Amino acid sequence: MMPHAQKAAIFNKDEARTDWHDASLWMVRKKRDFAVSEIPEWEFLREFASDIKMHTLSKLDDYLEAFEKAAIQNGAIVHWAADAKEHNDIVLSILNKHQAKKMVKSKSMLTEECHLNEFLELHNIEVIDSDLGERIIQMLNEPPSHIVLPAIHLKKEEIGELFHRELHTEKGATDPQYLTEAARHHLREKFHTAQVALTGVNFGIAETGEVVVCTNEGNADMGVHLTPVQIHSMGIEKLIPRRSDLAVFTRLLARSATGQPVTVFTSHHRNPKPAGEMHIILVDNGRTEQLGKPDFRSSLKCIRCGACMNTCPIYRRSGGHSYETTIPGPIGSILTPGVDLKKHGQLPFASTLCGSCTDVCPVKIDIHTQLYKWRQIVSEAGLPEGGNKTMMSIMGNGLASPSFFHRLGNIGRKLLRLFPGKERFLSFTVWTKDRDLPKAPVESFREWYAKQARDAQ
Amino acid sequence: MPSKETILTKIKANRPNLWPLPDVPIFETSATDKKKLFIQILERGGSKVHCIDDSTQIHQVINTHFPEDKRMVSALPFLEGIEGITTLHPDFYEGTEVAIIEGLIGVAENGALWVTENELGNVRVLPFIAQHLVMVISEKNIVGTMHEAYKILGLPTSEGFGVFIAGPSKTADIEQSLVIGAQGARSLLVILIP
Ligand code: SF4
Repeated sequence: MMPHAQKAAIFNKDEARTDWHDASLWMVRKKRDFAVSEIPEWEFLREFASDIKMHTLSKLDDYLEAFEKAAIQNGAIVHWAADAKEHNDIVLSILNKHQAKKMVKSKSMLTEECHLNEFLELHNIEVIDSDLGERIIQMLNEPPSHIVLPAIHLKKEEIGELFHRELHTEKGATDPQYLTEAARHHLREKFHTAQVALTGVNFGIAETGEVVVCTNEGNADMGVHLTPVQIHSMGIEKLIPRRSDLAVFTRLLARSATGQPVTVFTSHHRNPKPAGEMHIILVDNGRTEQLGKPDFRSSLKCIRCGACMNTCPIYRRSGGHSYETTIPGPIGSILTPGVDLKKHGQLPFASTLCGSCTDVCPVKIDIHTQLYKWRQIVSEAGLPEGGNKTMMSIMGNGLASPSFFHRLGNIGRKLLRLFPGKERFLSFTVWTKDRDLPKAPVESFREWYAKQARDAQ
Repeated sequence: MPSKETILTKIKANRPNLWPLPDVPIFETSATDKKKLFIQILERGGSKVHCIDDSTQIHQVINTHFPEDKRMVSALPFLEGIEGITTLHPDFYEGTEVAIIEGLIGVAENGALWVTENELGNVRVLPFIAQHLVMVISEKNIVGTMHEAYKILGLPTSEGFGVFIAGPSKTADIEQSLVIGAQGARSLLVILIP
């Protein structure tokens, strides 16, 4: 696997495009800020949301059992999946039971995590991602680059070209309205012919057994209500205890995600439609492991709003694909090292530790602290390799000894005066690749202070 | 061991100490005029709002908004018998161009309207499949925030499906350009009655 820094370097080769990507996400971040400013009790809501989630995690077994009981009473069929494979097998068995060959799916990061599409296609099932952004990247055979805005990395010209090829829109047409209309017709046909619909779940309510799905396009509901069999795939951390808790979370989610006051549709599914079937699959896939890590368990509070990505200076200028994980950005960088430290251990370093992610997170996950903690673990394990480590150990020694630090400073200032600029200097560390070194001051603070003290006498 | 037991056992071993569940207060809106805020937020989200003093004027409003001949389907009992408006039938909703339904609660802070399958004549897909959506709601049923809305809703009783609808369907998946009318209704007209 190529390290994140290398992938980011490739992304940055097209400077204009990087700037465009950066600006698109920053615009979403600004919309979020405006939406947040309309709620005076915002900080209280974050605190409540965090506490509700922590409470749920502390009694997750009880709440899962309560949820299952209520859902069964409602008439739903509940399945438990320990890992991705079991989840996929369950979906396939439901499809087989109904001799279904076509399934419409609305946005679900969990099924991305389980690689459900690839699995079902191997079994000759046609899967149609019905969210516009998801459909676009499915046609391109790419993973999503953002958890809320899956096609944020694509230009309308590229989508126009794709639709011309796949949906026979006019050549050269790039108008988003026109392209969306083409997708609408294409997908409406699919909703009418699919036998099964699958959705992700934003919130599962323990006291009622309901699953709540928050969307804007209406595709999730089109699928669920038009097909005889509905499946809801849900990570076990999606539970909340009470229906009234939704007030807190619906107020936080859309404002944090896109800056809307609420998603267009907040659908509460409790029981199957007449003569229909409703399945709920509860998925672990590593979540119980994460629960056992005291420093990192709070990452399970995540409601997948994407705000930490939109605000992250690294994400904005490296793109979601550079992370090579299902969930990219700051939250992805604390969720995935636990799954595979060797493969994803470099991700906690893809951060400036500025803390902006922690500031915007609606459920108050201390993301940047966890990034820092992962770095300790990764370094102790002897990863990552390369220049960064050499530099870090020199810096580490330098900062630990005042006299050495003083001498290092003197040498540094002299070198900077002799060789200004960045090209000829420190070329062995990546740090200076895109950074100019400062103009060296004539004296250090320590020297200046000593002089002041002398002059004052 | 079946996965249910595996998962529950792992949780028991790994879960943190009991964390208290907070009591969340019913936050109210600071806006003095809830109706005004409701209208403002709906319009900001791309919906149209029309206020009338008498529910007998509903069909006039609908006719001015949809002057062409459209297939209109209503789930409102008091619109029965009006020319051009068909009463909803669970088997004949295909091709609905304008669906007219009732909203039970309106939320001022985000322009969301609550509707359950009972108001949809059990045709859950109606508000999504119709090309245009009309929602009729009484001013009396406008609350300030989601907290107030869920307080009134309580726990579900008979309904197996309920949804908050806060505007026409939309997407910004192509270069963040807002497109109204994604896969559900292309427009939302909210009619406020006394
Ligand atoms: S970590 Fe927080 S900000 Fe990031 S996606 Fe999850 S809830 Fe949103």
